[in-house]
Amino acid sequence: MNWKNVLRLIRVERKSGRLIRGRKLTKYRESGFLAYWPYWAGLALGIVTGLLAGMIYNVASAADPSISKPFQDGALSVFLSLPTLVLVYSLVFTTMQQIQRSGVKTSSQVPYWLPVTWQEHTLASILASLLGFPLASVVFITSAITILSVFIGQFLPAVMASLAVFAAAFMASAITEVLRILQVRFIGAVYKSSGRAAVWVRFIGSLLFFLVFYIIYFYMTSGGAVTFIQTIASAQTAAWFIPFVWLGMTLYSFTSGLLLQGFIFLALSILFIAGLFFLATLLNRRFGLYEPPAITISRGVYAPRTGFLGKFGFSTAEASLIRKDLRAFTRRRELMTIFIIPIVIILVQVMQTLGSTTANVPAQFFVYFAASAFLLPASVMAMSLGSFMIGEEGQAVWRIYASPLSAKTLVKSKYFFIIFFSIVVLAITGIFGFVVYHPSLRATVVSYCEAVFLIFALGAISLSNGIKGADFTETPRARMIHLSWSMINVGVCLLAGVAILAPFFPYAISSMLSEIMPGLTGVALLDPLLAVVVSAIIAIILTAIFYRIALKNARELLTKAEM
Amino acid sequence: MNDAVAVELKGVVKRYNEILAVNQLDLSINTGEIFGLLGPNGSGKSTTLKMLLGLVTPDVGSISVLGKDVQKDPVAVKQQVGYVPESPRLYEFLTGIEYLDFIGDIYGMQTEEKKNRITEYLKALQLEGREGDMINGYSEGMKQKIALISAFLHRPKLLILDEPLSALDPRSARIVKDFLHQLKTQGVTTIMSTHVLEIAQAVCDRIGIMYQGRILALGNMKELRQMSKLPDSGLEDIFLKLTGTDDIRAVVEELLK
Repeated sequence: MNWKNVLRLIRVERKSGRLIRGRKLTKYRESGFLAYWPYWAGLALGIVTGLLAGMIYNVASAADPSISKPFQDGALSVFLSLPTLVLVYSLVFTTMQQIQRSGVKTSSQVPYWLPVTWQEHTLASILASLLGFPLASVVFITSAITILSVFIGQFLPAVMASLAVFAAAFMASAITEVLRILQVRFIGAVYKSSGRAAVWVRFIGSLLFFLVFYIIYFYMTSGGAVTFIQTIASAQTAAWFIPFVWLGMTLYSFTSGLLLQGFIFLALSILFIAGLFFLATLLNRRFGLYEPPAITISRGVYAPRTGFLGKFGFSTAEASLIRKDLRAFTRRRELMTIFIIPIVIILVQVMQTLGSTTANVPAQFFVYFAASAFLLPASVMAMSLGSFMIGEEGQAVWRIYASPLSAKTLVKSKYFFIIFFSIVVLAITGIFGFVVYHPSLRATVVSYCEAVFLIFALGAISLSNGIKGADFTETPRARMIHLSWSMINVGVCLLAGVAILAPFFPYAISSMLSEIMPGLTGVALLDPLLAVVVSAIIAIILTAIFYRIALKNARELLTKAEM
Repeated sequence: MNDAVAVELKGVVKRYNEILAVNQLDLSINTGEIFGLLGPNGSGKSTTLKMLLGLVTPDVGSISVLGKDVQKDPVAVKQQVGYVPESPRLYEFLTGIEYLDFIGDIYGMQTEEKKNRITEYLKALQLEGREGDMINGYSEGMKQKIALISAFLHRPKLLILDEPLSALDPRSARIVKDFLHQLKTQGVTTIMSTHVLEIAQAVCDRIGIMYQGRILALGNMKELRQMSKLPDSGLEDIFLKLTGTDDIRAVVEELLK
């Protein structure tokens, strides 16, 4: 193994981060120190955290010596669970890293024309996946526990835990590498064998993947993480036969004085990591240059159809744009994820609802859950779709520029798409809200109406901002809207949403007050149907204004034609 | 502008900050002519072609395409123009047939006519059997064929082609060249930019050599030979002499050191 080659390859991978962050390479000046700032920051933070924790321990144990023992035992328990914990979160973050890097074709492409062996390439790829947050967090953890251990007299276990943490991160990255190669090779085969259903296989598969990924992510970043550490600490010894906990078992054995057992688990851990590395190398050698097959969608006689959109007054150009966008949102992975938003919102709501039931929250609060089930997913969908609709054209936007499309055609077709999909989402989440929360018929009608107003207004606002801030950059991933315009869009949509729902505020406030302070019966409830009318007027005005702005922005876009 | 002139640029200037991309360009291209626009990298060819479509606005000057002012009515101009950019990015998530269907619809083609033409072109350029595959699985040559078909599909009066034959196999390249000649007899004007000088020499009626934003030389092969005082030379030698990049031997020797 040529270690210099490995280092060179890692350096290339690290520099691909410039593309991931979308930096302007013409102005790029790399400072040797600043290039490694995440690791320096991790180290500094770790030292400070370790020092603070150590000093708190010193002060606390000086005041009450009886807490020393439980604190030391607790710290040791955390040390023992760290390798498994780092393994799990490194799996998540290295997968995120791989997803990002997959867009940077130049960096993820195997440099097969260079004199680099597959071992070197595989090792570099595994280590490169750790760059950034995974490695910085490992540096933070190891420095923090090492410093803390000096105060609590657990230096040797802390050093062993630190080594095990690095090994666990490597193990996680090796697993990610194996999964990456298998994913490219075998998912490709699944598409191929799925024939025309491949697009749906990819669509549903991607949705499921992101859904599972988000659930794990939310679980780990919410209060569940503490439970997770406790579970690992208690369950590790019971699950000793699972290779992923062998590093933790090594630590446990050594700290418990079981030296022979410790050496056996150490040897098993090394063998397992080496095995993973050789498996990854083998798979890379076999499938590293594999190109996934094209998905065949149609065979046989070509038969163009006018489609039903024509019957609704759309011109062929408008209908064609709508059809093209429909295919884009069901076939492009980065666009498919937009359908995750309503699912995640509903999931979060379900969790909140469950929590609220156990906490004995007043039943009237469920009205607000129901209202948000109607309003939130569809509004967020309209907002997201609107901001992406133009930028999603990517580099292929030259076709729009070069085609005889007027601004009116472009805006009409894009706007229809936003409204159509948001209404579909509203229909589904509305049914969910109705079934789960059982709102009254009047509340259901009002909620549906308000959601439709929000969809129309926020759709127009987002489309106007999406055109103005369109970002057609595709390398390494489709950006679709400039960050500044995305933030402006969120701000304007929030204000518009508040304005549209404002007529309901007196109703909501009086309803809430009567719940919290039952004595305040004098607060009159306003008729929500009257509020709907006022709300509709506000929404119509906003929609008309922003639709015109969208048209103006589209005219500018077609004239400027910046690619 | 009379009907005999398809494209006319008068005193066109385009500047990108400090860089003068196009400098006082005057150019007339006749109807039914195959015109080659040549020049070294950064000479202003692509900017000129983009200005013809209204994709870039000139700072000074006027551009008329097929009798229409590009700035005033770019949509009407685009309706009659077929364009292939230097690096055509296609909607990779569509199949070849879906893409062409989309293009046909954009240009408002009738269903039957669209179907017939797409089928003919796919057959001619040997894409039959692959039209149902998603474009992201195509080779560069196949993508180029799809881009070319999308330019020809609506039978435009003017074709603007930036490196049209790049990545094409010899048979397809020959078909495209012959096809351009046939279109010429039907009065279709073609403006082509290429770095492959043999293609320009073989295909184009007239050639304009751009350098630093200006037309350095303009004419047919015979006229270019006279201008460059290279009576028996090919376009490559003429080009290199006119653009002052004929120090090839010295450069090669330097590289070999």
